[in-house]
Amino acid sequence: MLELLQNSVEALNNSHPIIQFCAYLSLLFIVIIILLLVYLKNLRDRLRIKGRIEATYKKKYESDLIEYLYAGDDKNISLHQQKIIDYFKKNAENRLKRKLIIATFLKLKNEISGETSDAIQDLYYQTGLINSATSKLKSKKWDAVARAIRELTLFEIKEAHDEIILLINHPKKEVRNEIQKYLVKLFRFDGLKFLDVLENPLSEWDQIQLLEILNKFNNLEVPDMNNWLRSNNNSVLSFTLKLAKIYNQFGVKDEIIALFNHPNIDIRIEAINVVAHLGIYEAVAILKEDYFTRSLEEQIAFFKMMEEMAMPDDIPFIREHIEHDNFFIRISVMKTMNLITVDDDNTFKINTTATDFTIDKDLTIAS
Amino acid sequence: MNLDLPEQLINFFDYIFFGFAMAAILSYIILAIISAFETVNYMKKNSFVNYTEILSSSISPSISIIAPAYNESLNIVENVRSLLSNHYVNYDVIIINDGSKDDTLEKLITAYDLVKVDYLINNQVATKPLRKGVFKSTNPAFEKLIVVDKENGGKADALNLGLNISTNKYVACIDVDCLLLEDSLQKMIKPFLEATDHKVIAAGGVIRIANSCIIKDGKLLDINFPKNHIVRGQILEYLRAFLLGRMAWSKLNGLLVISGAFGLFDKKIALEVGGYDTKTVGEDMEIIVRMRRHMEEKKVKYRVAYIPDPLCWTEAPDNYKIFISQRNRWTRGTIETLKKHKKIGFNPKYNSLGILSYPYWFLFERLAPILEVLGLFYFTLLIVTNNVVWDYAILFLIVAYLFTVLFSIITIIAEELTYHQYTKRGMGIQLIKTAFTEPILNHPFILYAAIKGNFDYYFNKSIKWGEMTRKGMSNN
Amino acid sequence: MNLSKKIVLAEDNSILAKLLQFKLEKEGYQLLIATNGKEAVDLIEDNKPDMILTDIMMPFISGLEVISHVRNKLEMKTPIVVFSSAGQEEMVLSAFNLGATDFMSKPFSPNELIIRIKRLLQ
Repeated sequence: MLELLQNSVEALNNSHPIIQFCAYLSLLFIVIIILLLVYLKNLRDRLRIKGRIEATYKKKYESDLIEYLYAGDDKNISLHQQKIIDYFKKNAENRLKRKLIIATFLKLKNEISGETSDAIQDLYYQTGLINSATSKLKSKKWDAVARAIRELTLFEIKEAHDEIILLINHPKKEVRNEIQKYLVKLFRFDGLKFLDVLENPLSEWDQIQLLEILNKFNNLEVPDMNNWLRSNNNSVLSFTLKLAKIYNQFGVKDEIIALFNHPNIDIRIEAINVVAHLGIYEAVAILKEDYFTRSLEEQIAFFKMMEEMAMPDDIPFIREHIEHDNFFIRISVMKTMNLITVDDDNTFKINTTATDFTIDKDLTIAS
Repeated sequence: MNLDLPEQLINFFDYIFFGFAMAAILSYIILAIISAFETVNYMKKNSFVNYTEILSSSISPSISIIAPAYNESLNIVENVRSLLSNHYVNYDVIIINDGSKDDTLEKLITAYDLVKVDYLINNQVATKPLRKGVFKSTNPAFEKLIVVDKENGGKADALNLGLNISTNKYVACIDVDCLLLEDSLQKMIKPFLEATDHKVIAAGGVIRIANSCIIKDGKLLDINFPKNHIVRGQILEYLRAFLLGRMAWSKLNGLLVISGAFGLFDKKIALEVGGYDTKTVGEDMEIIVRMRRHMEEKKVKYRVAYIPDPLCWTEAPDNYKIFISQRNRWTRGTIETLKKHKKIGFNPKYNSLGILSYPYWFLFERLAPILEVLGLFYFTLLIVTNNVVWDYAILFLIVAYLFTVLFSIITIIAEELTYHQYTKRGMGIQLIKTAFTEPILNHPFILYAAIKGNFDYYFNKSIKWGEMTRKGMSNN
Repeated sequence: MNLSKKIVLAEDNSILAKLLQFKLEKEGYQLLIATNGKEAVDLIEDNKPDMILTDIMMPFISGLEVISHVRNKLEMKTPIVVFSSAGQEEMVLSAFNLGATDFMSKPFSPNELIIRIKRLLQ
């Protein structure tokens, strides 16, 4: 055996460098493979245990939460409830369990409102979970900070406002976005004040998130949007146009009309799209005037708008474009003509497009 | 035989093959490292993202799912039902029945209460004409469904008709038998909506292999590791490519291919470049290259995004015949695409597309199988002519084999650390076993298919797509 | 003569289901829980409940299909209350078109749900 080994080593040392290299490389690979296999086994075992813990505790936490919510009377915390609070408190010391507890609380809190929802928030305080979140705000890791802010948002912790606002200019955009969502969720339209000074772009994803948070509130007092519509930040313009549309802010029509001449084409088109929804009829004449100087995209948007805004005296103008090269304009023209003219030579019989498609919806028997 | 080839010649070839092998190994390692960093980054960014808000939002962009179908009668009803149950709100499903010879259309009409409707189609890309027409449902619960029956024209042609019909801004081009997870659309649309200083033109996802998994009622209930070793090998292969390859390419903005099984596109740009090319079998790769090229020429900042989360599950070939046919097609697709766009190769005008992606693909995807086979011939030749080299040959093989095994094991670890989908007891061992057997059981066939692909490309123009018999996704 | 009325609940959020079960059972109702549309339909067919509560967004067979199935195929006049996430107006409209009786958008107050259920079951 030993002789074989000695001979091999000797042969190796005498051979071509490539061979030597390959031999050593192979040896290296084998060693690494063995080490990795050991690590892999260990990893899978750990993950399996983690999975089991999660499954078990998930059930437990869910039942405990329900018990807590209905164990006491409205005034005082019963003994039973206190036991549960302590139980959660103790478990929360473990990172994995804390995550599970918070996830359980949120899973329910997101679906319901009213007393029960408030009770869960109360529990968040009682168990001291709030402390772990507020302390993470000071973390050096941006994802920990962002997660903490999100948690505080979901549990609607107003007290954290002052600490969070300090981070408003955090270098990471994920953190900044979480702060924006926090402000809007807790302070509604007041929370949007950051739009006054926002320099970074607000992506469409962020805009949707913010709009959906606002959407959940009823009876909102909508603020004056005029100066947002004069912002230098195009994403603020875009966002405000969406707000104007959703909250029917007819009052800002002058600013919207002003945007028809904005340097950015996407803003111009978005402004045109808002016109129909808000019924800003004076815009029609304005857009008709410089129609021919506008790009094709804007013209398409214009005709789409005309589908809902056209008046009988617009017919001559519209009719000129019947034979337009562009498919969408032709369709819009025909739709518009059909809508505003009745029993006229101007009506068309067209094959319906997808949007006009009507099916017999009266199929079901309502009880 | 005793031919004494000049030593210099031997050395020369040795260094060539050795050099190529080392370059390949190095490139895999670099890509793996970049992928690892990027995946960690992605997971950090998305661990707390709330995807539910975008679902119900009235301003969330609308998406059309376009799925061509050819002779899919066995599963079409179930597949469509699965597509209709996605959690995204603003979307529709366009099924293009590409001249099926079976009763695909009839089954759909019955199951979904379809009636023929008049439909004005904006023919932005030329396609084969309609056959029986356009159908929609009379039941409001299936309002999202549009079924189109057309003359057979192939997958690319069918997708193009889908592009013409869709009135939405984004299109998801998928294989009809793909199982899309409920949150796949919102995860895929995110990069498009998050980009502020550049345009995302397309996004690709991860394809996971569904063989042996329990899929019931269009939902993925249980993930199993199949017994078939051809499929096992493919699982590892896909994991390697998706976990340790594509993520890196996405970061380098060099992603050349999005899987045809699931990809999301900006419809306007897809139409701008003329839609899918019906003359190639690699239409999924070709359109991406063409779209990228278009954006480079327009000098607009852009990106092809990639989502590493498992979102799409599909069936993989489980016998050698179909497997080889599939790989053959992939090879021809690669050759066709690279050839069609050879202008961009090594062309600095095309930035990373021309300087990084194209050369890499050309060298390590297109040429690699050829070089590998040549290498094998070469060593066999030397051995037969008694020019020594047993030790070379064997050592090369050993190094290559060990590296592949090592890389596979790293892949398995990466999978455990990220998505950990194969959780059951014993699967770990099976995965490891596959790492050791795949180079022997699968790779030779991949090699053979690649060579045959080259052969067919150059000498056998009549072959096209090949058959894939449907086995059905639901296991009873 | 408060014979225990049967309610089928189709909701895939396990803790919300537990909460509603707790509250409804406390009021004396018998609760049958399904976690997806298919299970819901099976429970409805087997048990002929007095009321159906269903989430709209569910895997595979959506809440809409459940309503359609109950009204059209089974031709039952059972009151159906749907839950929706805020903003899914179109879905809610479709639900009513298909025959839903009432809806509550999430997040909703469990107490109010109880009140509505009591009212509908009179």
